[in-house]
Amino acid sequence: MLNSTILSYITFVYFGVFFLYLLMMLFAREILGRAATYVLIAGFAGHTVAITIRWVESYMLGIGHAPFSNLYESLIFFAWTIVLLYLIVEWRTKNRTMGAFVSPLAFLAMAYASFSPNINSSIQPLIPALKSNWLISHVITCFFGYAAFGLSFGLSLMYLIKRLDREGRGNIFLRLIPNPVILDELNYQMVVIGFLMLTLGIITGSVWAHSAWGSYWSWDPKETWSLITWLIYASVLHSRLVRGWKGKKIAVLCFVGFACVMFTYFGVNYLAGLHSYAKS
Amino acid sequence: MNKTTEKDKPNLPWQFFSSVRLTISLLIILAIASISGTVIPQQGQGAIEFARKLSPEMFRFLSFLDLFDMYHSLWFRILLGCLTFNIIICSVDRFPAAWKRFRAIPRPDRDKPFEDLPPLQAFLVKGKLKESADKVEQLFRSRYKKIQKKETADRYFFYGQKGRFSHFGVYLVHLSVVLILIGGLAGSFFGFEAYVNIVEGEEIDTVTLRKKMSPLKLDFGVRLDNFTVQFYENGAPKEYRSVLSFIVDGKTVEKKNVLVNHPVQFRGVTFYQSTYGKVPGKKVRLKIHRPASPLEITSLDVETRKSVPLPGKEGQFSVVKVSTNLMGMMGPAVLISVRPEQGDETSFWVFRDQEKILKRFPDLMSRNTKLNSSAFKPYTFFLDGLDAVFYTGLQVNRDPGVSIVWTGFFLIIAGFFVAFFSSHRKIWVRLIKSNGELDLSLAGTSNKNPVGLKRELEHLTENLKDLF
Ligand code: HEM
Repeated sequence: MLNSTILSYITFVYFGVFFLYLLMMLFAREILGRAATYVLIAGFAGHTVAITIRWVESYMLGIGHAPFSNLYESLIFFAWTIVLLYLIVEWRTKNRTMGAFVSPLAFLAMAYASFSPNINSSIQPLIPALKSNWLISHVITCFFGYAAFGLSFGLSLMYLIKRLDREGRGNIFLRLIPNPVILDELNYQMVVIGFLMLTLGIITGSVWAHSAWGSYWSWDPKETWSLITWLIYASVLHSRLVRGWKGKKIAVLCFVGFACVMFTYFGVNYLAGLHSYAKS
Repeated sequence: MNKTTEKDKPNLPWQFFSSVRLTISLLIILAIASISGTVIPQQGQGAIEFARKLSPEMFRFLSFLDLFDMYHSLWFRILLGCLTFNIIICSVDRFPAAWKRFRAIPRPDRDKPFEDLPPLQAFLVKGKLKESADKVEQLFRSRYKKIQKKETADRYFFYGQKGRFSHFGVYLVHLSVVLILIGGLAGSFFGFEAYVNIVEGEEIDTVTLRKKMSPLKLDFGVRLDNFTVQFYENGAPKEYRSVLSFIVDGKTVEKKNVLVNHPVQFRGVTFYQSTYGKVPGKKVRLKIHRPASPLEITSLDVETRKSVPLPGKEGQFSVVKVSTNLMGMMGPAVLISVRPEQGDETSFWVFRDQEKILKRFPDLMSRNTKLNSSAFKPYTFFLDGLDAVFYTGLQVNRDPGVSIVWTGFFLIIAGFFVAFFSSHRKIWVRLIKSNGELDLSLAGTSNKNPVGLKRELEHLTENLKDLF
């Protein structure tokens, strides 16, 4: 189908973007960074068009539904939310160094969706349980949450790398990374956005489960793992807000949090449960 | 004196439960405990198979810890109880301070906030003191609340604030967490989860509880009037629909459609579409062939398990068993038993798709009289059709905690917005007359989001400059 062909090309665009950001960091050339941003915006535009085409194509097949219903579509949407959120942050902070740490996430999600033999990219009809407006709000909020946590992961990584920077160690790559205080503050903001979105995601998911299966919480592994993720990030917020933890401890907790996000997303498919639709 | 000693007296349980270190530990312990529940299958078939593979000691150890149903175990509930207690004590402990910060109105004529101002926030303007102060006040009143004003011969002070409710966001969030936990508890104490299968046309008033597998009588009846299922072209299911009638004292009170994602509620009990299937109906359509001159073919509608005389009056026969798909591949079939006037009873299966089966297994009938539809001479039986009816599988729940949980969900989101995206900003403006010019400066503090405060002060500075 047209949409998946375009999307597989976008994968390469994102790889190119990663490469440009990396070159910018290695050679400290503004022009490379600006090129990376423009290519990323172009790739994002193409990405958006392809998702729209997929939506339209599903209606032409007579099984129209929003493109958020299987693993392929969710990965594509995950990459889309990461790029969108990253572009907003880049625009607000006027700093491009994060690009080198975040664009690989988008690239990897796209590559996994497009080239893994286990993932079916065709448009499938919705089984009755997935026919719900709650599904759409559930997917959108969850993935914005995941994307914010992805950015927080990138920022934590930058924080730990930046600590290697010492006076007189003229490493351009390290010097370009913003100072730790800014990284820490930005990381906190990403965790707040992610926590809000994840909470909304869990809420919309349980309202949907309640209307589909009759119980808003059934300790299904995916539900439980999203709760585990939520608990981890709640403890991140409290250790920072109340106990005043900063920097390294928070960065490490954010790694744990993002590992939980990834397990909620992929690992859970190896455990049995209601969400097994994501296996196809 | 008395008061301070009272406060300094260590109240250990109180200190323990009001500590945020406990909160962080509990959150992490709950997270780790929950992991084990996703790795060890909980209840049901999976748990039994898993338990079989374990050594007896391991099994005893895991069951001792309730790890096969850990989310409902006592220790897990105690952990949740501790968290609830922690939240409540912590909030009670801190609320008075937040209330004070909410109520406090600092004096407008303080000079401390104006120390170390960035240069942009202090500037000289031209004009008369009184007139200028009025202009400043007007602008200030339109933006802020709780305006305080103080004037002396050569200077004016103004104080204003906004967003003081931001101190309560945290309490709203914590209250919601408690509500959600209470709602969950209420559901598990006062609700039930059950299921029932209803055959088209039939009425039930009893459902089966999932946990105990015991029956539960409802105080009304439910009849399935009609069931339909639609498929996509590729065979995947598209829609299931059960038309239910709710019956009280023999009268139909309400008629409703249940679809997946569209449950219906009746008297606090909710019905969800869960599965469906087909069961054979009461009627079977048969054709009976008796070669005589003239050749005789009789078509009959036979009710199952009822004796019917053979067309030639040689005895009685009945349909003993009905299968919608015999052995999972032979298609619809009925087991017919013939009791002649003399001789032994004969029974044999009759297939609807006789010809198809004969093509695949040509010598099936001659080898096995049980499968031979001509086993009772001189008759041959044909099955024209089965009367199959649908049954619907419904999940039947009652959960009086749901509305509490929904309230908690709504409030927690509201609380997040107050806690994260609002801040209590206090702004001071000072106007001093010096050498025919006016020295105007502004300062502010905020309980969070210093960047937002800085932006607001810059904006206000612009507006003040525009006044002159
Ligand atoms: C899972 C349950 C909990 C959730 C979701 C939660 C959520 C939050 C959130 C979102 C904030 C940040 C508010 C802000 O930005 O000011 C916060 C702050 C806080 N939480 Fe919790 N919390 C939970 C449990 C607890 C418990 C059990 C305690 C008890 C000690 C606690 C004590 C605090 C304190 C003291 C603050 C800081 C208040 C301040 O900034 O003045 N939290 N909580």
